[in-house]
Amino acid sequence: MRLRDCKEVLEMSEFNIIGKRVPQKDAVEKSTGAAQYVTDLKLPGMLYGKILRSPYPHASILCIDTTRAKRLPGVKSVITFSDTPQIKFGPLVDDWYILAKDKVRFIGEEVAAVAAVDEDTAREAIELIRVEYEELPAVFTPGEAIQPGAPIINPEYPNNVVSHFKVERGDVEQAFREADLVIGDEFYANQVYQAYMESMACIAQSDGRGHLTLWLPSQVPSKTRMSYAKALGIQPRDIRVIRPHVGGGFGAKMEYDADLICALLATNTGRPVKIVNTRMEDFEAGNPRVPMSFDLRLAFKKDGTLLAKDLKALAGNGGRTVYGPAIMSTACYRIDSLYRIPNLRADGRLVYTNTVPTACFRGFGNAQATFALESLLDMAAHELGIEPAELRIKNSFNNGDTSPHGWFISTSGLADTIEQATQAAGWNDKKRNKTTRRGIGLACTNHVSGNRGFYRPFDGSSAILRVGESGQAVLIQGEAEIGQGQNTVYAMLAAEAAGLRYEDVTVAQVDTLIGPFGLGSFASRGTVLGGQAVIAAGKDAKRKLLAEASSMFNIPVEKLDIREGVVCRLPEQTKMATVAEVASHYMFRQGGCPLTGEGVYVPDTVVPDPVTKIGNISPVYCFATHIAEVEVDTETGQVKVLNYFASHDVGKILNPVGLEGQVEGGVVQGLGWALMEDMVTVNGKVQNPTFLDYRIPGVRDIGKIHVSFVETNDPKGPYGAKGIGEPALNPVTAAVANAIYDAVGVRIKSLPITPEKILAALEHTCML
Amino acid sequence: MKRLINLVVNGESHEVAVSPEQTLLEVLREELGLTGTKKGCNQGECGACTVLVDGKPVSSCLVLAVSVNGKSVSTIEGLSQDGRLHPLQEAFVKYGAIQCGFCTPGMLLAAKYLLENRPKPSEQEIKEAINGNICRCTGYVKIVEAISAVAQGAAL
Ligand code: FES
Ligand code: FES
Repeated sequence: MRLRDCKEVLEMSEFNIIGKRVPQKDAVEKSTGAAQYVTDLKLPGMLYGKILRSPYPHASILCIDTTRAKRLPGVKSVITFSDTPQIKFGPLVDDWYILAKDKVRFIGEEVAAVAAVDEDTAREAIELIRVEYEELPAVFTPGEAIQPGAPIINPEYPNNVVSHFKVERGDVEQAFREADLVIGDEFYANQVYQAYMESMACIAQSDGRGHLTLWLPSQVPSKTRMSYAKALGIQPRDIRVIRPHVGGGFGAKMEYDADLICALLATNTGRPVKIVNTRMEDFEAGNPRVPMSFDLRLAFKKDGTLLAKDLKALAGNGGRTVYGPAIMSTACYRIDSLYRIPNLRADGRLVYTNTVPTACFRGFGNAQATFALESLLDMAAHELGIEPAELRIKNSFNNGDTSPHGWFISTSGLADTIEQATQAAGWNDKKRNKTTRRGIGLACTNHVSGNRGFYRPFDGSSAILRVGESGQAVLIQGEAEIGQGQNTVYAMLAAEAAGLRYEDVTVAQVDTLIGPFGLGSFASRGTVLGGQAVIAAGKDAKRKLLAEASSMFNIPVEKLDIREGVVCRLPEQTKMATVAEVASHYMFRQGGCPLTGEGVYVPDTVVPDPVTKIGNISPVYCFATHIAEVEVDTETGQVKVLNYFASHDVGKILNPVGLEGQVEGGVVQGLGWALMEDMVTVNGKVQNPTFLDYRIPGVRDIGKIHVSFVETNDPKGPYGAKGIGEPALNPVTAAVANAIYDAVGVRIKSLPITPEKILAALEHTCML
Repeated sequence: MKRLINLVVNGESHEVAVSPEQTLLEVLREELGLTGTKKGCNQGECGACTVLVDGKPVSSCLVLAVSVNGKSVSTIEGLSQDGRLHPLQEAFVKYGAIQCGFCTPGMLLAAKYLLENRPKPSEQEIKEAINGNICRCTGYVKIVEAISAVAQGAAL
């Protein structure tokens, strides 16, 4: 690629690269099969690990006999609880042991593990381990688990309630008394599986002196070191995490017990060990979505003004705690920054059950709550005789508003996304000219871009941009690309801020030995928090390049600019040098040290007060409106999504290809949840742990998806941008439910909306 | 008992000793080090392991290696020629059809088979051709766009 001349680059628009359709940085290597994922890596002398998992949902372990497994040729290590550090730990609640101590709490809990020369031998050895269990009474649903006398899963929580979240603002009782309309109902958001295409995997290697290297497909490479160090009784500095390419995560790939088992096996054997979940293991012992039931009431004035919201939530934690408490509390109150509601009350409980532990899945509790709220709003619109889009616009938050929980909404494009989506969908027209069995439904969402409460020590990000002697730059940061295109946006931001060419910027894979402590991929935080740090690093590099050029040519810094890899003199617009020439001059003057820009971003967000729950948790807030257009077959109950319209307030469009991809992917995931996906669990056992029985959307299951964007240019976002990952999925289930109601007049309040549920509901109406 | 078989992979002949229950997927990944072919489920349900055997797409996790003795296998590693990307690869890159990339090799081979046999497929035919290939990231929109672009000979 040639370097442009100064006139050209200086007279380009405000941005040289931001806003362009840029393919993913690593798309070429992914297209040739060269990209290496943890599952592809093989180290010399590597052993293969397998885990013996509990077949019982709740049982005491009486004894474990590993003698036959140990005698099997090729077996290098067999471990049970007594071979582990025996330390309680966990990301939020210390209710994990690396291997089960004296009882198991869910089918799939890790009881013993083996490392052997190959996978077949490891599998055979697992089958030779004898465990004597004594079954205990078990409880499978949150509703049963909170009944007095229910079996207790964790003796430290004698009523099975892991966490209880309460918040109240204003005077809810009075608002309900004075309301013109009170409407309430129960909703259920079921348990679904992330179904990333690369199952959970780990490779661990010990150097024999207490230092571990883990290759993980992790969303939180730096943070895992903290919890893993505690679990292993070592220091975080003794754990190095390397994150190769990741085959999707969607929230699931955070702390995972198999990583620790792998680490112990590697330490025991002195050889690298690899553990890869089979797809069935991944279904049965992954980190699926927290199922939640809601009892939700809303109060309105006649004119549609929202007066109060009263929410009760009951959520399933599974047999041990991953991120359930934070997800449940999120469901209770994140949505309160979508519409102005002065009187609020939420009471949520997260409950142990003898089922697979539940965790993060795109939307983090807000997706569940959005299904309930946006369904009920639609019901209210009908009662009030107000157009559903109008009702939402009327109550939406505006620029500069602060929510009752202290969330400062610097910009809100909510009303604009409603406008844009309804326009695109031809909403008014389709509402007026209804076709039988066709319907159209709308739902909105809000979300954070970062969550200050998630990791107490800090939120923020940092990045290092190293510019080498040929003008090539490497961006080193600790955030986690998991396939969403984050590295591409980072390279764009770095190039823009530093004045480099996009193609000259490489983003290094995360290696915690080298890079900064990055919190990783959750809370739709990457673009905003990581992005701001990258811009800061780019600016720092540019400042140093300008200073170097200034002394090289004896021209004041103010008379120089750098764009697209060339150093230009102002106002003449003449080319003075290339970035390569300046960077090599710097480097050779500095004893070989490359020119390095450092960037730090610490948001002015606030950890919510533990008592009042007040605190602005995110630097910017995202908004979106989705509209589904469906056709319902009243004979079969089948729903076809004909058209889908998604409009997102993204602050500023950084990379349209990436944004569209996130929205299209999020919408299709949401359609899967709305219409087909369900982890069917009977007596704690997942009944459909294969892609044949747990169907996720294929290419023929989707209609046309139309994506559009609103730019609010948030002053706190990187060049004005906001996050996108989770809002892309949040409103889908409600949009579909509302469209089905519009089509055939039945209101399905529990997910997924299967043909059976529709047919059953249709029986009670006179539509047929 | 291991058996010696001959596989022509991407035009190159390999003698490999395989056990009777070893799948083609395992042989490609573990014996030949061709890890571009992915294992998404090992049960024939996701399409991540799609390769072409004698030009036809198969789920290599369902195919026993011994049964392809003497046949020719095309994997993702053979799709680009002399360092030049295949037009499908170029289109997947350009149109943003690749996010995590785990489904990509299988998708590309399924698409290659389609275009070799139906150079001008309809959108419906494209969807049918990749219906057995699951992608959890992209929502398929850009994958279909990329394949259509190549079929229509769009300048990439
Ligand atoms: S790995 Fe072969 S179809 Fe999934
Ligand atoms: S790109 Fe991730 S599964 Fe298709």
